[in-house]
Amino acid sequence: MNHTTNSVPDPAVLQATRARAANWPFRSVLIANRGEIAVRILRTVQALGLEGVVVYHAADRKAPAVQLADQAIEITGATPVAAYLDAKQILAAAKSSGAGAIHPGYGFLSENAGFARAVAEAGLIFVGPTPEQIELMGDKVRARAFVEKGGFPVAPSAIEDDDPATFAERALKVPFPLLIKPAAGGGGKGMRIVREPGQLKAELERARSEGQRYFGDGRLYVERYIENPRHIEVQVLGDAHGNVVHLFERECSVQRRFQKIVEETPSPALSPELRKRICETAAGIAREAGYRNAGTVEFIFGAGGEFYFLEMNTRLQVEHPVTEMITGKDLVLEQLRVAAGEKLGFTQEQVTSTGHSIEFRIYAEDASRGYTPTTGPVLLLRPPQGEGVRVDSGIVEGQDVTAAFDPMLAKLIVTGRNRAEAIARADKALAEYALLGCITNTAFLRRLLNHRAFVDGQVHTGFLDAHPEIAAQPELDQATLCKLLAASALMTKPMRDVADLVPDMHAAIGSWSN
Amino acid sequence: MKRLESKLNTASAEFQANAAHNRKLVEAFKAMQHKVRHERPERDIQRLKAQDKMFVRERLKQLLDPGTPFLELSSLAANEAYEGDVPGAGVVTGIGVVSGREVMINAGDASVKGGAWYPLSVKKTVRALDVAIENRLPVVHLCDSAGGFLPLQAELFADKYYAGRIFRNQCMLSKMGVQQVAIVLGHCTAGGAYVPGLSDYNVIVRGTGAIFLAGPPLVKAATGEEVTVDELGGCDMHTSISGTADYPASSEEEAIAIARDIVAQFKRPDKTRIEWLPPEAPFYDPAELYGVLPRDIKQGFDIREVIARLVDGSRFHEYQPAYGKTLICGYAHLWGYKIGILANNGVLFNDSALKGAHFIELCNQNKTPILFLQNITGFMVGKEYEQRGITKDGAKMIMAVSNSEVPKFTVMCNGSFGAGNYGMSGRAFDSRFLFSWPQSQISVMGAEQAANTLADVKIRQLARHGKQLTAEDVAAIRDPVVAEFKRKSSAYYSTSEIWDDGILDPVDTRNALGIAISAALNTPIGDPRYGIFRM
Amino acid sequence: MHHAFKLEENEYNLELSRAPAGYRLHLADRTIPVNLHLEDDGSAVLTVNGRSEKVLVATRGDDVFIHLGGVGYQLRYEHPLQRLAAQAQGSAEDHVRAPMPGSLVALHAKPGQTVARGESLLVMESMKMETTIAAPRDGVIETVHFAIGQTFDRDALLLSLVAMVVEGKKS
Repeated sequence: MNHTTNSVPDPAVLQATRARAANWPFRSVLIANRGEIAVRILRTVQALGLEGVVVYHAADRKAPAVQLADQAIEITGATPVAAYLDAKQILAAAKSSGAGAIHPGYGFLSENAGFARAVAEAGLIFVGPTPEQIELMGDKVRARAFVEKGGFPVAPSAIEDDDPATFAERALKVPFPLLIKPAAGGGGKGMRIVREPGQLKAELERARSEGQRYFGDGRLYVERYIENPRHIEVQVLGDAHGNVVHLFERECSVQRRFQKIVEETPSPALSPELRKRICETAAGIAREAGYRNAGTVEFIFGAGGEFYFLEMNTRLQVEHPVTEMITGKDLVLEQLRVAAGEKLGFTQEQVTSTGHSIEFRIYAEDASRGYTPTTGPVLLLRPPQGEGVRVDSGIVEGQDVTAAFDPMLAKLIVTGRNRAEAIARADKALAEYALLGCITNTAFLRRLLNHRAFVDGQVHTGFLDAHPEIAAQPELDQATLCKLLAASALMTKPMRDVADLVPDMHAAIGSWSN
Repeated sequence: MKRLESKLNTASAEFQANAAHNRKLVEAFKAMQHKVRHERPERDIQRLKAQDKMFVRERLKQLLDPGTPFLELSSLAANEAYEGDVPGAGVVTGIGVVSGREVMINAGDASVKGGAWYPLSVKKTVRALDVAIENRLPVVHLCDSAGGFLPLQAELFADKYYAGRIFRNQCMLSKMGVQQVAIVLGHCTAGGAYVPGLSDYNVIVRGTGAIFLAGPPLVKAATGEEVTVDELGGCDMHTSISGTADYPASSEEEAIAIARDIVAQFKRPDKTRIEWLPPEAPFYDPAELYGVLPRDIKQGFDIREVIARLVDGSRFHEYQPAYGKTLICGYAHLWGYKIGILANNGVLFNDSALKGAHFIELCNQNKTPILFLQNITGFMVGKEYEQRGITKDGAKMIMAVSNSEVPKFTVMCNGSFGAGNYGMSGRAFDSRFLFSWPQSQISVMGAEQAANTLADVKIRQLARHGKQLTAEDVAAIRDPVVAEFKRKSSAYYSTSEIWDDGILDPVDTRNALGIAISAALNTPIGDPRYGIFRM
Repeated sequence: MHHAFKLEENEYNLELSRAPAGYRLHLADRTIPVNLHLEDDGSAVLTVNGRSEKVLVATRGDDVFIHLGGVGYQLRYEHPLQRLAAQAQGSAEDHVRAPMPGSLVALHAKPGQTVARGESLLVMESMKMETTIAAPRDGVIETVHFAIGQTFDRDALLLSLVAMVVEGKKS
């Protein structure tokens, strides 16, 4: 550990928690997940002196979590993903391994209320919120209504079904520009942006006829359209005793195909006042829900500083490490602590933010071909090291990257005293990040982080679509090409053999003729 | 082994004049080589293109290992024959490296008269296969020949060293276990059919390659049968029905790639081990050879200045430095290989001949290949020397040279006149390789001397018939004789007739010899056994 | 120039030869002194034109993976015999024929589908043994001539690839 970034977790906190953990209602935690997050959770579980159990599908046999776990239990499924979604097998594994708690990680069963319930019914502890909280936040309409009712900001909207007679009238009251959406819609079909109130009527008619055509349903709703929105979310943590704190925001605006690829904290878009407002809004929502364990409140953030509730994720987020890096809090440790029934170990005032942290998701994908997944063997893996560099990885050399799972291989979390230092360190770390055998997005991420707009913090969720040159494969310069061909030729046996078989003298004479 | 100390003043006017003169000669030589290698009438180039054929030089580039040397043999063969119409005698031969193996290349050049065999084409091919036999070099044949040039068939068909010898040599190679691969890139008709036929492996190009004893027109004439080239001897017929050809290829490039893969299967030779040291470049710049060689062939020079610019580190162990000083003998290393050198520093006297014979015996005793550097006007003549037995001393040297078991290499550095040519391992004495420098000359005696002798005979004949000759008349008789004699004693004539294995830029000699020595070591060196030395 | 590497969509012809120290890379218009010294830790020192830098290299089959200047690359070696055969005999490789009589038990390709060389196209059964038939080259499936369960004779045309346009037979 070093002096310019936080130690996660604080050694004193770890030591004290470890001592208390001896008396927790569980001594063994089963991790119902895979990849980097399984490793991440396992690290804290084992650091606390608890036993770490993992379940794995055969496709993950060589994965590091399986190697690191105190116990690893194979599960099966029609597909590898199906295995990790099979609650029955996982509960059976928990039983047979003697696990007292189940940590679901993210994805898979992490936001499945039924699973959370089944865990409790099996007499085990679910490391997460209550099934009811999962259900509430899992239903987008209910969640929105819940938040609105609590007086928190949701995007202004008008829903036709509420009162079809007054729909057009109500729509005009929503601040422009507006987005018209078919009530039965999806995939962007039938959506229309309206910038002038005068155009509303005509556009509503067109949208209705499109909705009819595409979905056989002409019902509509309109909402405030946010131009070039940012995605800002707030980490919250609550215990079973009614305490809720926030751990500041994360900016996750850089997305491709609706998936985050770079997340950072603090957000370059927030003034201290805005930060305070958005974080307190998030904590307020969690408090309103009596939220337990780690969760994330997501907001859509407009250029004018307006923000609206989007949804709440009732689990640990992929991008949780940036929060850990600036707060020094081990979120998994806090989750386990809450699950064990302890009170939060700190108050809101005790949560501080130091430095700047950025996470880069390392994907097995080819950005220049529409971010299509790539596969291949991990022949050589050299994660970067150095000050402020953290790598949460789910792969090791010798493993195969297959199309069976999400293409995220690892996360690079880079922390510096400020954003500029974090970016500089990230550029170096990404350049050093070597994975041979499968194309990854590291070069793309370097182009992204060196892009003027990113450096200036001027990003929004449509940023990559607006700048296709970042994803495009840059033209190879002659010198690089020459080096690649040289290295390739020298690594290729039939070529090297031809050269090596030439007798010494003839090789020394070279291309000579009389 | 100490370094030779050059006495040459490279700043002298003499050196500069020599250098300028010889550089010019080399430039002319290179220009001629370039013409022979690359310049063809447009219609021949277009014809190859239309046939979808590569030029022979492109084929070689594809065949040979990249970044390796190619020692071309007799590049200017036939340059003084057939009115210069058959450059290189229509054949490219030489030693190159294919899949790491040193091989002899025998490539027909279809851009010259459709690759027709002229008498000198046959001689050049036979010589290349002789070199392959003597040095156990695997052969890659690139077959693309229209067949024998009929108007000159009498000079290429029937005699011992004529076309039949090509096939006989192929059989000898096969018997010796020296492998051959033929790539059929054009029609191999009649005798030509046996080149792939007698090779251990052959590859044939679909569409352009064909093998048959008689082509469709001849078949029609002979039997009335009408048949296409492909049916009669094309790629698919021979590789799938007759078994005459082994590997089908769809392009020349593929055929060559297959042939390279075939050569990669050849067993690499167990080289004869001789004394060897890590190679060292000559201390004295080989380019200074241009200043060493005199402008006038009659002018003497110290041959050690040549040795110093050929051998490793310019180091030389001189044998009998104080005896028989017109023949320099001694040991050196060339591209690491230890060699014995016999080099002329004047006419051969009794002592120099004896020294030479003795040194050849030494080299045979210790298995050291010998390099002869010829600049010889002959053995000394006159009563005193005959009485001292110059003939029998010369005979000893010739006996030693002829029965030498170690490989011999000869370079015609300057003059090669009279029996000195024999004593210094001339063409008849089976040097593994014999190269000439551009200004060198070969004849039974010097041109002036010979012309005078010939003119005198004529003048005396005319005098017998009572004719009085003016000085002009004498010149009119003498000058054409001198001119003709000079032409036929020049290196260009020599190389045209394939009395050597090619003219070399003196600067290239070191590499050429290195490649030659390496090739020669494919063959074991036997124990020496001589005939009767006349004592 | 028999050897070639494919990088992205481009094919590069090249040769390698040995120099007194190291190697020479022969490209169409240049010869460049090169060398590669492999270290024990999997890294390597690449020297091109006298300039050295650290690279990471790994191979798998004909694929060469290189981490150079902070970027990972993947190149594929094309053996001259394979490349030239494919180039010149395009037509022969357009057709996938049955190596023995049998029946079709599984089909992994359908017309219009893009396949990579070596990719499994179909599985046939013969003499109670299953044989997987792989794509002879990269290409697009034109026609599948049999349906699952159908039987066929040896050399039966099982599947056709869309013919490749062979540009300039000689490169």
